[in-house]
Amino acid sequence: MTARFILPLIAGSTLLMASQAFGADDTTLERGAYLARAGDCVACHTTEDGKDFAGGLAIESPFGTIYSTNISPDKDHGIGNYTEAEFAAALRDGKRADGANLYPAMPYPSYAKLTDDDVHALYVYFMDGVEPVADSAPETDLSFPFNQRWGITAWNWLFADADTFTPNTSADPLIERGRYLVEGLGHCGSCHTPRGFAEQEKTLDDSDDSYLSGADLNDWWAPSLRGGDGGDGRGVEGWSAHEIAEYLKTGRNAHATVGGEMTSVVAHSTSHLTDTDLTGIALYLKSLSANPAGENATTPDQRRTASEKTAAHLTAAKDLSDGERLYLDNCSACHLNDGKGAERVFPAIDGNSLANADNPTGLIHTILAGATPPATPTIPAQLPMPGFGWRLSDEEVATLATFVRSAWGNDGGAVTAEQVGKVRDTLKPSPLNRAPDANGRLNHDDRDPK
Amino acid sequence: MSQPDNTSRRAFLRNTFTLIPTVGLAGGVSLTAKAAEAPPNLSDYQPAFFKSDEWAFLLAACDRLIPGESEGKGPGALDTNVPIFIDRQMDSPYGHAERWYMQGPFVLDGSPDLGFQYPYTPRDVYQKGIALTQAYCQKQYGKRFEQLDAATRDQVLQALEANQVDFAALGETQKLEASEFFSSLLENTKEGYLADPIHGGNKHMASWKMLGFPGARASYRDWVDQHNVDYPLGPVSLTGERG
Repeated sequence: MTARFILPLIAGSTLLMASQAFGADDTTLERGAYLARAGDCVACHTTEDGKDFAGGLAIESPFGTIYSTNISPDKDHGIGNYTEAEFAAALRDGKRADGANLYPAMPYPSYAKLTDDDVHALYVYFMDGVEPVADSAPETDLSFPFNQRWGITAWNWLFADADTFTPNTSADPLIERGRYLVEGLGHCGSCHTPRGFAEQEKTLDDSDDSYLSGADLNDWWAPSLRGGDGGDGRGVEGWSAHEIAEYLKTGRNAHATVGGEMTSVVAHSTSHLTDTDLTGIALYLKSLSANPAGENATTPDQRRTASEKTAAHLTAAKDLSDGERLYLDNCSACHLNDGKGAERVFPAIDGNSLANADNPTGLIHTILAGATPPATPTIPAQLPMPGFGWRLSDEEVATLATFVRSAWGNDGGAVTAEQVGKVRDTLKPSPLNRAPDANGRLNHDDRDPK
Repeated sequence: MSQPDNTSRRAFLRNTFTLIPTVGLAGGVSLTAKAAEAPPNLSDYQPAFFKSDEWAFLLAACDRLIPGESEGKGPGALDTNVPIFIDRQMDSPYGHAERWYMQGPFVLDGSPDLGFQYPYTPRDVYQKGIALTQAYCQKQYGKRFEQLDAATRDQVLQALEANQVDFAALGETQKLEASEFFSSLLENTKEGYLADPIHGGNKHMASWKMLGFPGARASYRDWVDQHNVDYPLGPVSLTGERG
């Protein structure tokens, strides 16, 4: 699918913004603000209730908890004293103004791709467009040896030597724009590229087929983004470029609704990008060859036959297994007997990448705690899935998840009650997962009055 | 189940099909606790609202309104924890008349078309209604209601229903009438028998099983086009109990 064919498909007022953002009349500051969106800086550098860019968010890493820093232009607590060169060094090389190394929770290996022009625009935005916040974020205090920041120098030497982005002049400029955003500010590989022995992304660009080929992120499967030919038909290889762009813009498309960590990425970053940039990103992802299908991968025909069989069995509702009965009693009203749900409202489970992931944690979490799609500028409504943790035991969730992962054309593995129990232990209180009170009321507020 | 029932049920489902997201958007409870605890035995239950003599009346009255298997075809009010349902309702906003206008003026001789006019919450109606009925039984039979045999208890309930027990003569000052007390009691008993078990009654969905009502499965859209096929599934409750 070519860019020329895609563009007219995507309607939207943000096209206007695109021409503003990159037109000659535009201010550098506005462009910087847009680029900060593309980089999703706010995701890590702002706490849930905190001021923008004041830092302090706790980021779980394999080495301990890393706190994001205050990157507002406050001269004492933020980066107000940074020169543009120091700002560029932090962004691209992971060097603090005092020369110390940043922890690579900061995706500077990706931001290294940024052009000088874009670094300048970001600098102007962070100095002049962001409110200074005079609060210090908590210090990161990892245990030895990870508190030895000098050690990161060797890590950087080994893994973070990426150069500034150089467009391939013979390629479609829109695809190249997409590649720049994906490799650079979008830092998609931080979650979607598998990591190596030193927690480095195995590759920072598409020179290797492991790039964006899917990875486990804190036990939650971040699926492959390689959307080209081949594959097992479970990931974005089954989506059109238009559908990928729609997903990034609205958090939903005909195949899926965003969940997990990606919910915040769509809410704070991709839903604010121009349709042109989203199209570029989508076309670039479609240009990457899909992960090769596994040895036991089913064919589309086999999956279709299996889907019809499950749907017919559920609809007849005779001789049901416990898993089938649990599905009918809890899930089928929205996700329907064919597991296809309703486009853009109730996501399909048949073929769902989370339901088929090797690691079932994301699916278990969704069943137990429910999920809320993001409010995006074009689709602000958030019809949530309620959690079923209050209603189903660990055994029941395991039975249900095992059924869902083997129903229709799915072929994920079985789930045990122990796995469910582990996920249940990590859950926080949530309005989406609460039992009705003794009077059967669901909607009253029973929080302690403050 | 006979054919006309199935047809009308399908028609009902077809005409009322909607999708309603039933999601609470406030508050939070422990996620590790699971709601579906086994319902208590009626004999072990400690009522939260009714005093022990009131409780004895309630059990004896519910038992006559929906008798158990020995007299009827299905489970009775006591088999299905209906008194527990009523006791719990007394502690709910309903019991306290929280959402009703209760400020007066109370025009006690107003038209019956305007509904009850007395200043009582449902809790008051039960306390006063039970006390007045006990006074009536003492006067009439020299016994408490729960000490009467089944046939006599039926007579008392029939007298309440027909408003032949004069509450005013027994000391009631705010014009609560026997028939009003009876209708509350009957209404709440039916509710406890038929409502979802999450509210305390309809233990193990016994009344639903008897009726063939499939319960709180959120949608029956697949059955709109399945004609002349008996619905094969037992009920499911709000807490996920399967019958």
